[in-house]
Amino acid sequence: MLPRGLRGMGRLLLYLLVSGVAVLMLLPFYWMLITAVSPAPDIIAFPPKWIPSRLTLEHFQTAFDKAAWLTYYWNSTVVAVVSVGSSLLFGLFAGYAFAVYRFPLQNVFFLLILGTLMVPVQVTSVALYVLLAQIGWVDTVLGILAPNFASAFGVFMIRQGIKIVPMDLIEAARMDGAGEVRIVLTIIAPLIKTTLATVAMLLFLGSWNDFLWPVIVINSTDLRTLPVGIALFKDPYGNINYGPLMAATVISTAPMLIAYAISQKYMIRGVALTGLKG
Amino acid sequence: MSDTSDGAVIRCWRMLRARHILHAYLFIAPVVVLFGIFRVAPAVQTLLYSFYKVELLRGRFTFIGLDNFARLLTDPIFQQAARNTLVYVVAIVPISGILGLLLAVLFNSRFRFQEFFKAVYFSPMVTSTVAAAMVWWWMYNPQFGIINVLLKLVGIREQPWLMSSSMALPAIIIFSVWKTVGYNMIIYLAGLQGIPVQFYEAATIDGASAVRRFWRITVPLLAPTTTFILIYNSILAFQVFDQVFVLTGGGPANSTNVVVLDLYRQAFQRYDFGYAAAEAMVLFVCILGITILQYVYSKKYEIAY
Repeated sequence: MLPRGLRGMGRLLLYLLVSGVAVLMLLPFYWMLITAVSPAPDIIAFPPKWIPSRLTLEHFQTAFDKAAWLTYYWNSTVVAVVSVGSSLLFGLFAGYAFAVYRFPLQNVFFLLILGTLMVPVQVTSVALYVLLAQIGWVDTVLGILAPNFASAFGVFMIRQGIKIVPMDLIEAARMDGAGEVRIVLTIIAPLIKTTLATVAMLLFLGSWNDFLWPVIVINSTDLRTLPVGIALFKDPYGNINYGPLMAATVISTAPMLIAYAISQKYMIRGVALTGLKG
Repeated sequence: MSDTSDGAVIRCWRMLRARHILHAYLFIAPVVVLFGIFRVAPAVQTLLYSFYKVELLRGRFTFIGLDNFARLLTDPIFQQAARNTLVYVVAIVPISGILGLLLAVLFNSRFRFQEFFKAVYFSPMVTSTVAAAMVWWWMYNPQFGIINVLLKLVGIREQPWLMSSSMALPAIIIFSVWKTVGYNMIIYLAGLQGIPVQFYEAATIDGASAVRRFWRITVPLLAPTTTFILIYNSILAFQVFDQVFVLTGGGPANSTNVVVLDLYRQAFQRYDFGYAAAEAMVLFVCILGITILQYVYSKKYEIAY
């Protein structure tokens, strides 16, 4: 054991290190917020103004004048809710089938579903775009949703969750005359609600922050999701104006950061348990 | 008598099994159909397109064999994009992984406000890459960006960061370390908490120093976690796009161009779908290679335990 004084030193060092890294991690968030609420001269002041000389909302006004942020919110929400909802519903039934039944070609289908993890949209975007062009889904919300109606990650996690549900429970429900669909929806779903919530959270996060596919498939301004809105906010207005840009960044990240601040313990545990993000 | 009842049982069992098989197929049908249409078919189709010259607007598809792949080999822009992607993968994966491990070791002891700090370190992970990169784009501004301002305050000359073809890629890597290190920390922390305390106690009694305990107990027992982190991060790193799009757009002079960005440009700005499909196949081969590595390694650990 180390002598008391040395241990105290170690403790101090630990706190210094941990807080120092925390400052580095938080600096971008702080700088985003400060730039967004500082009057223009403060933003380019030297030495930097860590605390604005006065608070202003003018940058938010400019940001809202230049882009339809509420529409982007709505688009992001619709895409996230529909893709998470359908992924959970389809994943619940597929996960149940893979966990409970034995059927021909079971492993083939399972590997096929997991195999899609190896062909992310980065690989398939070219042909997917051509396909959607043929069925008229390019530049529509359906187009953004197309590759996200189901999730291989979701099917896998839900199957793992259902595997630990005792078979007796399912058999008992069958004896009572419950149909399979009813068993899945009224018995299995509540039993694995922690798994479902974790999967839902990770898929929501993935969908909310997704950029590549929406920016490919969307052309219309009023169909942009938040990440597309923020990425394309920079270009068209030639003169770079950091105040409104940071205000726009605050607008687009605030809901997720607030949700995270409230549920961080739970979100971090979900990531640690599943090892994956959506 | 017993014959007929046995027959009835078997008939009943067969009927039940047939019904279960029917249910199974109905239950997996939505996922299989959706993935078949929107994932598997486009994957196969991309492979096919890589052998074609695709003129989408005219609806013309001309078979050109391996010409797209031959072009990849001689295209200096793609070569640079491939090189940059490799540099990015080779840098980000170990840097973010090792820093994540060191932070996890710190967090494996008990101290005040631990949960708060953990939440802070993880916060970049829940922020959209595009929005976070936009903030860093401003921070990297050579004149007014906070990074150069801070450097100036401590007497270091301003750096050109994203404006310089030698510094832009490192600047993107620094951003990505900030973005991903919290994730690696959380995963390593989960791994660390799975190591029995007795191992450390026994080693301490035997007189092993902290450094020695780290190399002889922590590192080997975390091997499965490390494999997972290496593989997961590499697969994601090969697909890097968002931060490059926002921070540099591939510039200056292609010094930060990456495979997915080039693919995006070839397909959706130049409409050269066949060539982009060939690039996609290169990306796929990288992902496939890593997945096979993962398979081999996970088999190795199954034997080891």
